[in-house]
Amino acid sequence: MITDRTAPAESVTLTAEVENLVDSAEPDAVFRDTRECGGGLLLLGLLLISPPTPRPKTDAR
Amino acid sequence: MIADAATGVALALRGEGDPYALSRTLRQGDALALAAIRVLGADALAPYALGHRAGPGGEDESVVREALAAYPPGVAASDVSVWSYRGLIEASHAFLNGGADGWPRPPEAGAGWIGTDPWPRLSHRASQLAALALPGLAPGLAEALAARTDDLSRGFVRAVRRQDWLQAAGLGRWLARLPEVPPTLGLDGGLAFVRQMSGGDARVALHVVAARRFHGRGW
Amino acid sequence: MTGGRGDPALLDRLVGDGLGWLDGARASFRLPPDVTTDADPNTTLKPLGELAELTELTRTAHPRREIRERADALFAFAWQETGEGELFAELIRGEPRATYPVELYGIFAQAGLRHAAVEELLVTTTGLRGWRVAREDHTRTLGVLNAERRIGLPRHAAADAEFAHTGLGLLPEPWTLDRKAAYGVTHDVFHLTDWGRARRRLPAAHAGYLRLWLPAWLECWLEEQLWDLVGELLAVTACLPDAPYDAAAWQRLAAAQTSDGAVPETGTATRSADPAETFLACYHSTLVTVFAGTLARIAATEAADGPAAAGRPPFESEAAP
Repeated sequence: MITDRTAPAESVTLTAEVENLVDSAEPDAVFRDTRECGGGLLLLGLLLISPPTPRPKTDAR
Repeated sequence: MIADAATGVALALRGEGDPYALSRTLRQGDALALAAIRVLGADALAPYALGHRAGPGGEDESVVREALAAYPPGVAASDVSVWSYRGLIEASHAFLNGGADGWPRPPEAGAGWIGTDPWPRLSHRASQLAALALPGLAPGLAEALAARTDDLSRGFVRAVRRQDWLQAAGLGRWLARLPEVPPTLGLDGGLAFVRQMSGGDARVALHVVAARRFHGRGW
Repeated sequence: MTGGRGDPALLDRLVGDGLGWLDGARASFRLPPDVTTDADPNTTLKPLGELAELTELTRTAHPRREIRERADALFAFAWQETGEGELFAELIRGEPRATYPVELYGIFAQAGLRHAAVEELLVTTTGLRGWRVAREDHTRTLGVLNAERRIGLPRHAAADAEFAHTGLGLLPEPWTLDRKAAYGVTHDVFHLTDWGRARRRLPAAHAGYLRLWLPAWLECWLEEQLWDLVGELLAVTACLPDAPYDAAAWQRLAAAQTSDGAVPETGTATRSADPAETFLACYHSTLVTVFAGTLARIAATEAADGPAAAGRPPFESEAAP
C-alpha cells in the first residue's frame, strides 16, 4: 500500500493489483475424474449373461 | 506483461534466446514493467543465478531499484508480500554484483505461519514464494519449510487434484530444493505433469524450468 | 492429524445415530420376490450385502454393548432376508460364474452363519478352472480371495501377487488419484485386512504410504463433500498402526449427518418426498460412517488401553483353513 496520498488514482489501483498478484487467493477447485469409455459395449454384453455384480462401494458417477 | 517477463526468464534459464538482460525484457520507465518485476520478485533476476552476474550500476540495477521504490509493502501488507519483497532485495545483493550498499533495508517478514499454518494454507503461501527457492536465497525460510516437507508434499497432491497448476508448480519447485522429499510423491514426473497439464502457463513453466535448472528435478 | 484417543463421544453419537436411521430403513433393505431373476441387484442385493458387511464389525467389536446389540439386530435381519442362506443357493444355481454370491455369503459364513447346500455348491463352482479366469480388476479379485478365505475354500490365486497389481499395491504417485482410484485404494485395504480385522496384513511400506497421503486425499474429498469416500478414507486411516485421528475431518463428517442419523452421499441432504430415493442417496454413506466410526473407536480404545482391550477374537485372526 503506498502512502503517498498525492499519487494518481491509477497508481493506487496498480499498487493494489500488485499486492493481489503477489499474494492471491486460491482459485476455485476444478475436479475432473476419469470417464469410462471403450468398455461400454463389452460391459453391456456381459450384463445380458449375468447381472452386474454388486460392489460394496459406490461407482464413480 | 507478467507472462511475457516470466517467459523471458524461462527462456534464459533454458539457455535459449539472447543473453538475458532484465532491462531488455521489459520496457524501461513503464509502470507495468516495474509492477511485473515486483510480482516476479527474485525470479526477475533468476538467470543471473546461473553464473554470469550483471555488472554493477547497469540498467538492470536501476530498473530493480525503481521497482523496489515503486512497490514497497505497505503497513498492511501480507507476510507473503513482505517475503517476496525481501526476496527481490536478496536476489539483487546476490546476483547484481552491486554489493549491499544503497539498497532498501530488507523488511522483517513474519515467519510464525511457517510453523503453525495448517498444511493447505502453508502450501498456498509457500507456493507464492517459490522464487525464493533460488539457490542460496532465504536460507532461514528454506530451513523452516524443510521441517514441513511432508506437508508441502501433501499440498502438491491437493493442488494437482484441484488443477491449481501454479500452486502445484511453486510447491514442486520448493520440494526440488528441499533435501528429503518423500520418494512416493514422484516429484520428477509430477513437475513434468504439471507443466504439460497447465497448457503453457508462463509462470508455471518458469517454476518447472527453475526446478530443473537449479535443482536437477523434473523433466 | 494426531494419534491418540480421538473423540469417543462424537464417534459413538455418529455410529449410534447412523444405526438408528438404518434400523428405521429396514423396509428399504428388504429383498423383492424377484431378487434372483429380474430385480436390479445394485438396488437390492448390494444394499443388503453392505448392511451385513458393514455392521458385522460393529456387532462383534464395538467397545459399547448397546451399540453392538443394535448392530447385531441389523445383521440378524440381513441373514433372515437371505432366507438363512437359501438365497445364495438360488443365486449360485442361476449364476454359477458370478462372484457376488460368494462374496456376500462369505460375510455370513465368517460369522458362523452357514448353509449346507451353499457349501456343497461352492466346492464345485469355485473348484473349476473357469473360476480362476482373471476378473475385471485386481481389487475385486482381492475381495473374492477374502471371501474364499472366510468360507474356508482354497484360494484361487495368491493374495500377495494380486495386491501387488492394485492401485495401492503399486504405490502410485498420490497426485494421480481420481475418485475411482480412491475407491480402489480404500477397497484394497478393506479386502487385504479383512475389513479392518487383520490390520497387520497391511505391509509396512503401504501403511507408511497411506499415513503420508491420506490427509491430502481426505482434504480433497472433504472439499468435494463426497461423504461416503470421506468415511472410507477415515476407515482406512483407522486401520493404520497407531492410527492417527483427524479430528477436523470427523467433525466435518459429523456435521454432514442429519438429525435423523442419515449421512448423504454427497453435499448437503436434500430430502426427497420419495423414501426410495432418500434411501438410495443415504444408505451407503450412513453404513460407511457406522463402519468407520467403529474402526476409529477401536483404534481410540487401543490407544488408551493397549491392543488387548479391543483386540477381541475376530482381530488379527490369520486362521486360513
